[in-house]
Amino acid sequence: MNKNLQVILMYFITHVGLIFFMYPTDIIESASRTHWVPIFIGMVFHLVFIWIYMKGLSYFPGKNIIDIYMEKGKGLSLIFLIPIIGYFFLANITTVRAYSEIINIVFLSETPLWATMIPFLFIATYIAAKGINVIFHTAFIVACVFLPLFLFIFILSFQNVDWRYFFPLFDIDYSFISNRSYYKSFFSFAGVFLFLGFIQPYHTYDRKKVFLSAILLLPFFLFSVYVPILTFGQATSATFQFPFVTALDSVYISWLVFDRITMFFLISLLIFIMIFLSLLLWMVCSILVHFVPIVKHSYVLYFLSILIFIICVMLPDWKVVENLFWWNTYFRFYVILVIPFSVLIFGVRSKRKVR
Amino acid sequence: MGELSKKVKKRFKNNDDFFQQETYLYKEIVEIMGFNTLINIPKTKDILQEYTKSVLTPDMPLDDFLKTIGEVKEGNIDDAIQSIFEGKLIICSNKDQYVVVDPIPKELNRSIEPPSNENVLQGSQSSFIEDVETNIGLIRKEKTSEKLRVKSYSVGKRQNKKLALLYIEGNVNKDILSEIQNQIEKNIKKELQNQQDLSNILGFSPWLTMSKFRTSELPSEAVKMLLQGRVVLFIDRLPIAFILPSLIWDMFTVENEHNYPYPLMILIRVLRVVGLLTTLIVPGLYVALVAVNPGVLRIEMALSIAQSRQGVPYPALVEVLIMLLILELILEASVRLPKSIGPTITMVGGIILGQAIVDAKLVSNLLIIILAATTIANFTIVGVQNSLSIRLYKYLIVIFASIYGVFGLLAGMLLIIAYLSSLRTFGVSYLNFNLERDVIKR
Repeated sequence: MNKNLQVILMYFITHVGLIFFMYPTDIIESASRTHWVPIFIGMVFHLVFIWIYMKGLSYFPGKNIIDIYMEKGKGLSLIFLIPIIGYFFLANITTVRAYSEIINIVFLSETPLWATMIPFLFIATYIAAKGINVIFHTAFIVACVFLPLFLFIFILSFQNVDWRYFFPLFDIDYSFISNRSYYKSFFSFAGVFLFLGFIQPYHTYDRKKVFLSAILLLPFFLFSVYVPILTFGQATSATFQFPFVTALDSVYISWLVFDRITMFFLISLLIFIMIFLSLLLWMVCSILVHFVPIVKHSYVLYFLSILIFIICVMLPDWKVVENLFWWNTYFRFYVILVIPFSVLIFGVRSKRKVR
Repeated sequence: MGELSKKVKKRFKNNDDFFQQETYLYKEIVEIMGFNTLINIPKTKDILQEYTKSVLTPDMPLDDFLKTIGEVKEGNIDDAIQSIFEGKLIICSNKDQYVVVDPIPKELNRSIEPPSNENVLQGSQSSFIEDVETNIGLIRKEKTSEKLRVKSYSVGKRQNKKLALLYIEGNVNKDILSEIQNQIEKNIKKELQNQQDLSNILGFSPWLTMSKFRTSELPSEAVKMLLQGRVVLFIDRLPIAFILPSLIWDMFTVENEHNYPYPLMILIRVLRVVGLLTTLIVPGLYVALVAVNPGVLRIEMALSIAQSRQGVPYPALVEVLIMLLILELILEASVRLPKSIGPTITMVGGIILGQAIVDAKLVSNLLIIILAATTIANFTIVGVQNSLSIRLYKYLIVIFASIYGVFGLLAGMLLIIAYLSSLRTFGVSYLNFNLERDVIKR
């Protein structure tokens, strides 16, 4: 099977899974008009750092990011990798917790929260335990099955839009730069890209194609924010917890037996998120196993997922989750800025040495 | 009577179908022995006599003559006994020398017939039979290539079973081939009777729910698989070709479809995919929509479902499980029953029972429609084992859906997809779509 396609699809579906819930909320909260400016700035940022990251990695063919740091010594690699573990761990907790809350809010209001978390963690752990190849294979098949469904519903979401809400186009509002929510929105950019550094010995990919698929995400970033705004207007959509989901709820199709297509949309995104979770778990485990090689990969994995489950159950309310999310922003910017640049610098240096 | 024949007779004293008789061959007395249940004695004798007449030099000594019909052996009684069990004829001279001859066998095989479990529309009708040699012959006839290779093994300790391995040189992936051969040679002492034994010999887990073999009764199918770089195994007395490795795409394709024009072929394959999805999703969807997430449905639809469930005393999960169980029983019964009674069962099971069960308000009308559709859709999948596995997975999804509704339904799907992607046969992932591209040239 074409490994390139697998990597691209993985990149695509995990991002798509992350975009549609929190991202529109954060962007609409952070800016009151011309939302395309923060989106474009975020996107350019995203493209720049994945380009740097991939460029850096290309100096080390066949090596993953752990090997690259290990070359520089164990101490240094610890310094670089521990924040990544922290980031992934927190990301895992917030994702599991937040998405189970979403499920509970949207369609399983009578099921207790811990019960909705179980399938999330269980399936993600199961996939992660089977190894990176299975994660990618699963992602590929999932993309084949659920992407068409997702795209179909995404197109339907334009049913009630009023394009005039797009204006004003150039009355640019820069207040988002000082807004906390804007920095939270980077979760959708920074959640996934690190996996490109972990898969090297197993999967190879064409840098240009991954880059293209990142560009292809632009309309989804853009319309996840703009569909609710075009449907309800900025003032109304700012009051919703999940603006895109609410916008989708307003869609009515006379020939479909289902009243709420939102549900199918959400669930295909949740499936993508489960793949993302399994990828996160696998990455955390491979770092941990590298430092403590005596313990088996699968035991670390089981331990981690039980730990995550316990922490998720213990978090008292949504506010704490939001706080965690905010704390993770520090890690996030570390991951966005330090990791790509350090890999690039190491790469350039090692190339010079060879010469 | 020589020493050898006495010993042999002693060994076979409890077998009444063992015969030992003296006959004139080439003007001298020899003793012939074997099983009269395996050998056609009069015809064999006739042929031997005919053959003596055709010898050009009439005064050749008997020993020299025996050399012309086979390898003359001496002494080793175990060899002789093994040959007798294999259905050979032993000609024993007075000097305790013997020759093993292929006799005219009793006809113990059925002739080549149309397949009984795989229907073929517009295609070659011949199918494999129990005899390994005939099956290999059928393949040779279908694919006249000098590159077709056959390797035979005799597997088992207490009883020897013939196992034949076929592949096309240059088409097969060498790693897979050598790994299969290693496995067989390593486990050559294990007993081989059926497919479970075969997967034991090849080192597969006995708890797999998805078969790692693609099985087929059709030579045309087996040859197509050989050309795709796969390996075919035959076990003596089993009229099935075991094709390794099996891939997910095999559930949807039959070689015979290439006898249709392209659009029709694609249409049929799409139908099978739809059949698979229907089998997996529809019962679960019913449970999810009725029991957990009725709000997803259009209100008119939800009301009509609720109306049809009026009076049904138990939850949707139990309702579905009861009906599924009855359907499984009908299916299993119709396999066991003689062909002449089969249609009666469909009638009783499908029409009378279905009507009665709705009238008695045990299940809803809608459920009968759904389950009938599911069962029919299930059999669009190629391969009996594949459709059995899919039937099993359906239950997983039903249970997930009863707990988590539509979310459980799709989570169950994800779990099944992940399980299928984790299956590997000799390094080949089950979810490969193009074996020729992905495996052979890897």
